[in-house]
Amino acid sequence: MDGRVIEFVRGLRAAGVRVSLAESREAMMAIQIMGIRDRDLFRETLRATMIKEVASYRVFDELFPLYFSADDPPLQNVYDDLNEGDQNMLRGALQAMSGQLDDLLDWLTSGEGPTKEELERMAEQAGKNYARDHRDAVYVTREMLRDMGFDKLQEKMAQLVEKLLEMGMSEEAIMKILGVMEANQEMLVENMARQVGRQIAQDRAERPEGLQDSDLMGKAFNSLSAAEKLELRQELGRMVNQLKTRAALRRKRGQKGKFDAKSTVRASQRTGGAPFELKFKRNRQKPSLVLLLDVSGSLRETVDFALRLIYELQDQVSKVRTFAFYRTLSEVTHIMTKIDARNDDEIYRPVRAAVDGGPYQTDLGACLQTFHDRHLSAVTGRSTVIVVGDGCNSYNDPRGDLLQDLSRRAKKLFWFNTEDPYQVQDDSDMHVYEPYCDAIFPVRNLRQLSAAVDKILVD
Amino acid sequence: MFKDIQDVMGKLSEQQYIASDEISTVVYLAQQLGKPVLAEGPAGVGKTELAKVWAAASGRPLVRLQCYEGLDESKALYEWEYAKQMLYTQLLRDTLKDVLSDAKTLKQAAARLSQEDDVFFSEDFLLPRPLLTALTSDEPVVLLIDEIDRADVEFEAFLLEILSDFQVSIPELGTIKAKHQPMVLLTSNNTRELSEALKRRCLFLHVDYPDFESEMNIVRMKVPDLTEDMAKQAISVVQELRKMNLRKMPSISETLDWARALVTLNAKEIDAETLNNTLTVLLKYEADVQNARRRMG
Repeated sequence: MDGRVIEFVRGLRAAGVRVSLAESREAMMAIQIMGIRDRDLFRETLRATMIKEVASYRVFDELFPLYFSADDPPLQNVYDDLNEGDQNMLRGALQAMSGQLDDLLDWLTSGEGPTKEELERMAEQAGKNYARDHRDAVYVTREMLRDMGFDKLQEKMAQLVEKLLEMGMSEEAIMKILGVMEANQEMLVENMARQVGRQIAQDRAERPEGLQDSDLMGKAFNSLSAAEKLELRQELGRMVNQLKTRAALRRKRGQKGKFDAKSTVRASQRTGGAPFELKFKRNRQKPSLVLLLDVSGSLRETVDFALRLIYELQDQVSKVRTFAFYRTLSEVTHIMTKIDARNDDEIYRPVRAAVDGGPYQTDLGACLQTFHDRHLSAVTGRSTVIVVGDGCNSYNDPRGDLLQDLSRRAKKLFWFNTEDPYQVQDDSDMHVYEPYCDAIFPVRNLRQLSAAVDKILVD
Repeated sequence: MFKDIQDVMGKLSEQQYIASDEISTVVYLAQQLGKPVLAEGPAGVGKTELAKVWAAASGRPLVRLQCYEGLDESKALYEWEYAKQMLYTQLLRDTLKDVLSDAKTLKQAAARLSQEDDVFFSEDFLLPRPLLTALTSDEPVVLLIDEIDRADVEFEAFLLEILSDFQVSIPELGTIKAKHQPMVLLTSNNTRELSEALKRRCLFLHVDYPDFESEMNIVRMKVPDLTEDMAKQAISVVQELRKMNLRKMPSISETLDWARALVTLNAKEIDAETLNNTLTVLLKYEADVQNARRRMG
């Protein structure tokens, strides 16, 4: 039983449910207490110990019967109920009808069913290895049935009946044979579907597929396929939670700042001047962010992921103001508040639409000027300014002085650089801006992006 | 202590709580494994109530910690009772004088005093808050940590330590270990995602709105004055309402309120007029009321 539970846990993990080692160990302990005799109870026990999210209930409910159904019910043997004469007649009839359905008719009458190896071979032929998850079992099974000739079975059985009648078998015996064969047929299909499902789930569990360790996290944003993007986006939620927990722990540990003499003296008035309660300054505040995003076409994916990540982390920062730039610059905070970062497919497009520009029209200098003229009040001594872009400026005046000014006003100024370090563009002005940034983080993939955001939440 | 799952179910129903198989299994498992339970689900489906009846059924006192934004350790765990400490230093002034009388230098006096300062940071001056109360109680308790999703992530991180070891360290006193491990129930309305670390340490229980039959049982048990026929009608209305797209679904507690209202009004059947008059008991937003009226005719 332990082995089955472990396989089940692997199946769950492969389907994207997080089950930790501690949880599976606990499930084992719980099973020892509860026993395995009552299937419903066993199910509740596993679920309470291993599944911690309602969203995962569905996967659990789908996989559980694949692993823990009562052992597949055996097929019946037709011959058992027949007298010797009828048995011989049936054998004779089957022999006379040799053809492609031999195996199938044999399984249905003998009650033997295909062996595990046979089943596996058939499943493979039917494309089991292309199945993505256990839900594809239905298709694979259907394919297998077609390969076996199930669609011609009715015809075949009619022929068999004819043959048996010809040979002089009583109608009663024939009905008996048909009844058993039909019951076997149903049972066979059910068993097959379950076994195929289990096999697919197991196959998946054996394929190494942790997203954290996969290359997807390290794959450059602009080379992601649509499916990969979707996969990464789902991973984003989990990452956000991790970042939040880390940030919270850090804030908690760093909670006590310098000794605050003034507050301590004030508090001591309550206790007759004796300083029982020492007060400390809280030195860590949630950062307030000002984002400047380059929304030119090449940054499409970066902007999309960066915005999703930062807006999911909104409760970790006190305020976010977002600006988009291309040839012109304008504020898009109001657009972002309307967007549901978790569910909306399109974030880039509305943000992009807020500014003018086209290929090779980026004008960082002019945009910085606009920001300086209209939105400078957004930046105070408590704000962290983040510029997301590749620094390509289409040979316009970079106006490094304006960025320097910004850097002086802000608490920190970071640059999230999307430039490929091995393919620096001719028109890149990063070298002009570099001296004015507190740090420059490369953000060409999700791993780098999350590391960069993590750093910002600390400072 | 519960003997088995049937025992859990029986004892909870003695407390007028109808527990599903799932709830009883988790409660029994929690007792056997000594694990906290995290109950998640919409508001008003009986999560908090479960803690109360759990305590009553197992004959243990209930200690409740209500979470809110900004809740910190000092409000949840312990505080020093400054006023009492102050009062004692004043009252004991003479004794202090005696103790320090033979000290010749300030240094000696300070040294002598520091030998005694444990007196003022002892358990006598400790003001235990719910968590410490639960840990130090002489008899085992049921600890309810209500609406944990409202507390900050920081507080959640702090809870982790307690929930895994059932001990806390107080710098002045050292580590305090639980005399009896409390049964812990955390509830969450799922307004925010809880950390995986916390979830890992708990058994998970999802409490949802009950189906027709269970709700019928609950109403019949809690509001016995309502006739069976009326209860049936009332619950089908409630179940129907839950299928609509409302801002706030009517919960079990609201069904019960409504049932009581129907008894008080002595309603004989739920016609359009009765429904119109009492709908505000079930629905708490004007938009929902309008919506429901339109849909139900």
